[in-house]
Amino acid sequence: MGRRRGVWIGMAALALLAFPPQWYPDGVRLTLTRWFGAADYRPLPASQSMNGDGGMAMAPAADGADEGVFCPEDLAGRRAAQEIDGVVIAATPTCAADDPYLIAAAVRGTNNVSADTLNRSGLTPDAVEKGRDLDGDGDPDEIHIRLEVAELNGGSPLSRQPVTRYDIAPGIEPGLWVFAPKLVGMAVENFESQVARYSLRLPSPAIRIEQGDRVRITLENSHYMPHTLHLHGADHGFVDVAGEGNDGVPITSEVPVMPGFARTYELTPRHAGTMFYHCHVQPHVHVQMGLQGLFVIEENRPDNWLQTLNVGAGQVRVRSVASRERYDQEYDLHYLDLDKQLGERIRRHNDPRLITRSMHREYDVTDATQDYFTLNGRSFPYTFRESLVVAEPDEQVKLRVVNGGSKGMALHTHGHKFTVTDLDGVPRPEAARSAQDVVWLATAQRVDLDLSLVNDGRQSYGPGIWLFHDHQNQGVTNDGIGPGGNISAIVDPEYLSESGWPRTRGVSFAPYFTEAYYRKEVPVWEAYAPGLFSDPAPDRWLLGRLLVLCLCLGVLAALVTGWLRRP
Amino acid sequence: MNGGFLLRARRLLAILLALGPGALASAASDMDEHAHHHHVMNWGGVVMNENTDRLPRGCAAVSGDVAVTVHAGRRYAAEVPGQIFGMSQHELAVPPCSRVTVTFVNEDEVRHQWMVHGLPKYLYPAGMFHIEAMGGDERTGTFIVPAEDRTYLIHCDMAQHMEKGMRGQLVVGRGSGDLWAVSGISDAFYRAPYLPGAGYTALLIALALALGFVGARLLRRRWIRREPA
Repeated sequence: MGRRRGVWIGMAALALLAFPPQWYPDGVRLTLTRWFGAADYRPLPASQSMNGDGGMAMAPAADGADEGVFCPEDLAGRRAAQEIDGVVIAATPTCAADDPYLIAAAVRGTNNVSADTLNRSGLTPDAVEKGRDLDGDGDPDEIHIRLEVAELNGGSPLSRQPVTRYDIAPGIEPGLWVFAPKLVGMAVENFESQVARYSLRLPSPAIRIEQGDRVRITLENSHYMPHTLHLHGADHGFVDVAGEGNDGVPITSEVPVMPGFARTYELTPRHAGTMFYHCHVQPHVHVQMGLQGLFVIEENRPDNWLQTLNVGAGQVRVRSVASRERYDQEYDLHYLDLDKQLGERIRRHNDPRLITRSMHREYDVTDATQDYFTLNGRSFPYTFRESLVVAEPDEQVKLRVVNGGSKGMALHTHGHKFTVTDLDGVPRPEAARSAQDVVWLATAQRVDLDLSLVNDGRQSYGPGIWLFHDHQNQGVTNDGIGPGGNISAIVDPEYLSESGWPRTRGVSFAPYFTEAYYRKEVPVWEAYAPGLFSDPAPDRWLLGRLLVLCLCLGVLAALVTGWLRRP
Repeated sequence: MNGGFLLRARRLLAILLALGPGALASAASDMDEHAHHHHVMNWGGVVMNENTDRLPRGCAAVSGDVAVTVHAGRRYAAEVPGQIFGMSQHELAVPPCSRVTVTFVNEDEVRHQWMVHGLPKYLYPAGMFHIEAMGGDERTGTFIVPAEDRTYLIHCDMAQHMEKGMRGQLVVGRGSGDLWAVSGISDAFYRAPYLPGAGYTALLIALALALGFVGARLLRRRWIRREPA
């Protein structure tokens, strides 16, 4: 009996001793302080090393050493100014540029370009057909565009990895649906790869037609769900010439286009302006999945050969006559926010019945929050590869902006104030126009902005690398990690390297080009203050005492329950 | 990164030129609506890496000719639960060294493809033989299969078409075992559980466990009773 009591007392004493003093009740601690003074100094745990994590932990501030990673070399020669089949294509100063052959085919029409250009463009011969010049002003007025529907980062019965992959930022591959130009051949870049081919991407292409054109758009539904085409804001009849539904709205106009089927929509718009197009089937889901694009109606001018498709939106490399009259450059800026919890549903199952149930009944958009914020289909840092607005002093730049996202956005520019000239495709009265540095865009709203590079202290404060972004806090993050989201910049050519990467003067971009950073594994200031704000290593002393304490408590529990008693 | 694509585009150009550059050229100059459509219908699709006479290694001669017509479209998935696109046949079995002529008929209003992967690269660039037909059109192509017994992937490489049903296999000789997830032939590697609702399934599982527990005890008692004392 005496030995039993000895074990009890020993264990209880050891437990008491092991109990970490920093967790004693405050009263006990203060009493002890009165008797013995404060506890001895015990250094806090050292900073955890990043173990070189891609070598970025010690990367010096912006030195351009990793420019090859930030800015892949333009091996296909897409960036240079060039003339293809008589189409003069402006240079793209940024790293990534649209395929100039696709641009040439979209300007001349896939039925009018040389066989060589057509085949380099990847488009089918009927992707953008241009017919007669009806008003005799030197440009075609019969336009027939064919769009397909493609799924990016979808699921597979064979793999847990996404298929037809498209990353909006390092390691971020949300499930997406896009309207796509009609391209010959495979959806991926080659036979060993699951990466989507170059021109298959978010956002759906910006479409450009001329006021008064007789336009037909055939939706070839190559996707496994029903879809339609709705021409938001563009002048179109509720029914077409044949009396068929033409508004793309299942509940009022027509039965949706089923998988494997096609339908042609018609319009002859009477007004110019920046409009929008999107799918109208279960629109609360399909529109935010990416089935939306800019729809630009240009003023009717002589010899107005338009770039009918602007793949990935962005810089317009072949501009309309009206744009060339008034501006030095033009950009299509398509903003779209995405809900991670929606996009991942297309990967959870392969059976379309299960996907449909998951997306249209189990997903509740009224409980949704947006996680990714894209500009022209990418988020920071990839926006710096392809969505910079590169402009020289005194240039006049036209920006056509749409907010395709679910929430409003507060578009803000550093270093400049712009002027809203058109709202939802309608010019604002001169008297109502004034310079602004924040413009609110409701969901589906379009604004045309005049960006003046005249250094007058208001419209521009001079050359630099000036950010423009949604000023709402979530908009500058990738799923809550900043910098991310739709951050891009207005850059003076002086601040741009040959490769197209901006000569920034701040911190290194190396961490932002790692997947780990956006997986929330890297301390945000690690690259330029290594160790200072890192994660601390665990306190082994405290952990040791805790384990001894628990060991003693375990023994005591065994004694209490009689577990140690011999049978 | 697009070098391969450019190469393929050039190859495609060569084939197009062989098919008739006149079609493209005349359409370019002719804005007449009728001719316009005529040209599109003329184009209709592509055959890539056709091979009618070059023999694979190990083939002394073409062992025989196989001609097959494969139809593609929604129709062929209509009766298959959980699939959207399909083909009239998802397996094609041929003897080694056969010369195979495939007529690919697309019954949908969107593009479809019939592609074979993994063929010898010295005969078929990127190891691929490819037929693509525009909606409502058909294309015919010929290739010669190698001498070895092997199973090759056939699929449509439009985004999600393979995943949603257009996945088949070409079995040469005795083949090398079925591929996964071939429509009507083999199961999906990742298959959804298709169980009733979670609560109902949990209840059934609990009932089965309880039945096992109680049943085993009852059986044991009976068994003990039967034992001679």
